[in-house]
Amino acid sequence: MAENWGQLKSFEGKKFEALDAEFTKEVSKLIGGQDLTACFQCAKCSAGCPVSDKVNIQVHELMRMLLFGFREVLDTDMVWLCTTCYQCQQRCPQGIEITDIIFGLKNMAFRKGITPPGYVTSRKALYDNGKLYEPTDWERDDLALPPVPHLDVAETRKVLGKTGLMRLQEGE
Amino acid sequence: MSKRPAYYHFLGCIIPHRYPSIEKATKLVFNDLGIDLLDMVGASCCPAPGVFGSFDRVTWATIAARNLTIAEQGGHPITTGCNGCFASLWDSNHELKEDEELRAAVNRNLADIGREFKGTIEVTHYLDVLHDVVGTQKVKEHVTRPLNGVRMALHPGCHWMRPKLVKKKDDSERPHIFREICETSGAKYVHYKDELICCGAGGAVRTADLKTSLDFTKQKFDSIAAAGGADVIVTPCPFCLLQLDTGQVEIQKLFGVEYKFDIMHVSELLALAFGHEPDEFGLANHLQYSQRKTEPNWERLNLRAKAKATA
Ligand code: SF4
Ligand code: SF4
Repeated sequence: MAENWGQLKSFEGKKFEALDAEFTKEVSKLIGGQDLTACFQCAKCSAGCPVSDKVNIQVHELMRMLLFGFREVLDTDMVWLCTTCYQCQQRCPQGIEITDIIFGLKNMAFRKGITPPGYVTSRKALYDNGKLYEPTDWERDDLALPPVPHLDVAETRKVLGKTGLMRLQEGE
Repeated sequence: MSKRPAYYHFLGCIIPHRYPSIEKATKLVFNDLGIDLLDMVGASCCPAPGVFGSFDRVTWATIAARNLTIAEQGGHPITTGCNGCFASLWDSNHELKEDEELRAAVNRNLADIGREFKGTIEVTHYLDVLHDVVGTQKVKEHVTRPLNGVRMALHPGCHWMRPKLVKKKDDSERPHIFREICETSGAKYVHYKDELICCGAGGAVRTADLKTSLDFTKQKFDSIAAAGGADVIVTPCPFCLLQLDTGQVEIQKLFGVEYKFDIMHVSELLALAFGHEPDEFGLANHLQYSQRKTEPNWERLNLRAKAKATA
């Protein structure tokens, strides 16, 4: 079981405020979200999902939480431990775009500040350098590779300033 | 003679900065095949789909579209050897062509830096070029050193072919294209049960929870061992390669289990099969070797004679 991520570990003894209309409306606007009611809980998504045996809340459970309008879904480990492998989406007999929905949930969770710390580090790297890694020049020299083509970081910073990447989280 | 095909070479972050051997091998192979790779001046991170797609779709699409506009200005398609870069560039290109609302939002952002997404180019993966443009038959004709007797397990990864209905590349539940390309090398394909599961790094789960992500990687290795083992694992993605390569060192540290698989990008496999020496593109520079102070298992890879000569 994943210990490191996700506040909601189990449904045991939990009380949820069901049918939060606002939340249901929000998630049904996500890409794929219009099909939430088509889910008949066959759990085929979870059967093929490679993290099913590693998470506390599986993907078919996540789908039902969405339909019931449980905001706590953003606290499940499934949201951030989804590898975006699209296996569930390809196998869902109802053709629900499950992985796309999870991407949308990650966007919602991020705005609320529910994001593993490593992601926030990557965000800074993209803003600062336009890339996630710095070159190791000696190695490229050894292979007689030319320098990596130039990037004007001022340009990527400007456009990231415009999209607001660095202040997307509530309160930032 | 028809004109040589030319592609903007989108390097991404991992290939040039962590595994330049892949970049070098690709340049050798594409040159052998008569295909021009053009530098993409001004390219940034794709941006990593698992990370930046998770923050905000419009930001993700804007940064990807900025990269696309560089190729649009030059009028050539893009090719990339990374499933992650492919996911960001191909998906955004596809979505921006279909979704007018997204396109308007992205172009509003790009206007500030004097750019505009027009939707005039295509994004390819090396696999598309090798399979659809060159053709596996012609790839085979360039093989001068078949890797006969080498047992090869494949890790196709996810984002070149999934989601199937959108990508329309291969039957991603029973894929064959990547296998056909790798088999031109003469190595023997070894099937294993978990061939199609994620490497463990996808969606940046590597970033969210390293232990969970290594759990997958270990599952893959065990599945290969159960199928009789393999001498090499081949993948079309440097992020998968990083996970499978350095993952062995991390698994040993975290779980105390030792695996010794040589991992190659498909470009490196083909460079060897095309007769290039491992030293020519730096195969021995892979991170697991420098971290463990080891080198590729030359004998198992049938490259023994050369290894001695260069020792
Ligand atoms: S496979 Fe589709 S229908 Fe079945 S439980 Fe999962 S989301 Fe619901
Ligand atoms: S995309 Fe995510 S939820 Fe779906 S099968 Fe893959 S890891 Fe599981």
